[in-house]
Amino acid sequence: MKHYLFLHWQSARTALAKILRQPVGSLLSLAMLSIAMALPLSLYLTVMSIQDWVGKLTQTPQITLFMEQSAETADIAAVSSALKTHPRVKGYTFISKKQALTDLEKRNGLNGLTEGLDGNPLPDAFVVTPASLEPKQLELLQKELSGLPMVEEAQFDASWAKRLYGMVDLGKHLTVFLALALSVALVLITHNTIRMQILARRDEIEVSKLIGATDSFIRRPFLYHALWQGLLAGLVAWGLTAWLIAVANPAIAEFAQLYNERVELRGLSPLELALVLGCAVLLATLGARLAADHHLRRVSAN
Amino acid sequence: MIQFDQVTKRYSGGVEALKNLSFSIDSGEMVFLAGHSGAGKSTLLKLISGLERATSGSVMVSGHNLSKLRGSQLPFVRQHIGVVFQDHKILFDRNVFDNVMLPLDIIGFDRREAARRVRAALDKVGLLGKEKVMPIRLSGGEQQRLCIARAVVHRPAILIADEPSANLDRAYALDIMELFKSFHQVGVTVLISAHDETLMEDYGRRILRLKEGQFTA
Repeated sequence: MKHYLFLHWQSARTALAKILRQPVGSLLSLAMLSIAMALPLSLYLTVMSIQDWVGKLTQTPQITLFMEQSAETADIAAVSSALKTHPRVKGYTFISKKQALTDLEKRNGLNGLTEGLDGNPLPDAFVVTPASLEPKQLELLQKELSGLPMVEEAQFDASWAKRLYGMVDLGKHLTVFLALALSVALVLITHNTIRMQILARRDEIEVSKLIGATDSFIRRPFLYHALWQGLLAGLVAWGLTAWLIAVANPAIAEFAQLYNERVELRGLSPLELALVLGCAVLLATLGARLAADHHLRRVSAN
Repeated sequence: MIQFDQVTKRYSGGVEALKNLSFSIDSGEMVFLAGHSGAGKSTLLKLISGLERATSGSVMVSGHNLSKLRGSQLPFVRQHIGVVFQDHKILFDRNVFDNVMLPLDIIGFDRREAARRVRAALDKVGLLGKEKVMPIRLSGGEQQRLCIARAVVHRPAILIADEPSANLDRAYALDIMELFKSFHQVGVTVLISAHDETLMEDYGRRILRLKEGQFTA
């Protein structure tokens, strides 16, 4: 067992030394691999960041009830009491048409807006916080509220967030597809690197077989080469995405500021990083194994 | 040590390289294998080192029946045999020291012990001063010695040499033969093939003469 571990340790060390000794050749395949990995990683982080943000938006969905323009104080009192006793309503606030107009003026710096207008075009409104966040319940509540007397419309604020959710879902599917496609690319790239190496070391392999090297002995350095390459490529890809996020975040924050939102791309969590590195190593080793099995059989000892 | 029992080797295409051969070589014996090119010498040596399999009959080496071993086990048989190849099979991308190191790497020797053994083997063949030299700078005789050093560095019980004196002048060939004799003297079973019998006769050892895949008297 100790002997076996020693053999592995020796191949691992030699393989890493070999990569480091040929910086140009290794860099080329490393660049290819890491860019192939950085693409789905960046997309993944973007999609996940948007999902986090949308999630925050829809955490407290609210339904806005707009009263008809002709609604009287009595009508408002009636709706108010209906909301108070409704089992599916957790709470509500009333925003009078007057208050809405001052808010609008303040928020957008449109002082004197009313002067150009014939009275107040805004309706009275209730902002309702539902008791249940379950989508079906929300829809039912929305329907019930819109049926109250003198209610013009019950608008579900998060309906556009729902649409965003749909887009996030699409992004997720895209990420999975891209990740799969580039996983195949990763296997193929390592397959090719290892194939070239096997061809370059044909003589050594042949002689080693002649003097008693087992298949696993011959395969081992190539597998370790691929392992290191996958690991290094994963780390470089991580660095690339971290750099991309660092560059993109200020611009995104500025853009989101225009809409009074705080949006930020997040980096990989340690668990995600470990997962990415694990997959990279696994796929690279798989590519090397396929190449080795295919080409070592051709270099026969006879 | 080595025992052939009615061994026939037929290559694809129907050529019979060996016909119904039976012989045995005792442990510690030194035996010559004579015959013209194409007589089957190389085939016989390849059967012993597990590089070829017999079409019929049994080949026993160090107590293993090679015909019955699985392909994945043959490397371990080869690890216990030292082979001096006819075409040397030296690796020209590494120096003398690393060439001799290869068998020990394959077996998985501790590096320091391995380095000691490599130097001992190089010393034995008279190449100790050239361990850092690239093989391309060696003369034909030196390359032959390098190949011998690589064949004995892991101290095999059996040493096989396929035409080791071919392409060498007589004085150098005698040197090489003396080298093999010294391995035989420390108990290694040695089997040497050559087409030039005059070299063998001086040694008074058993000579197996092959002709068209069969022994002649």
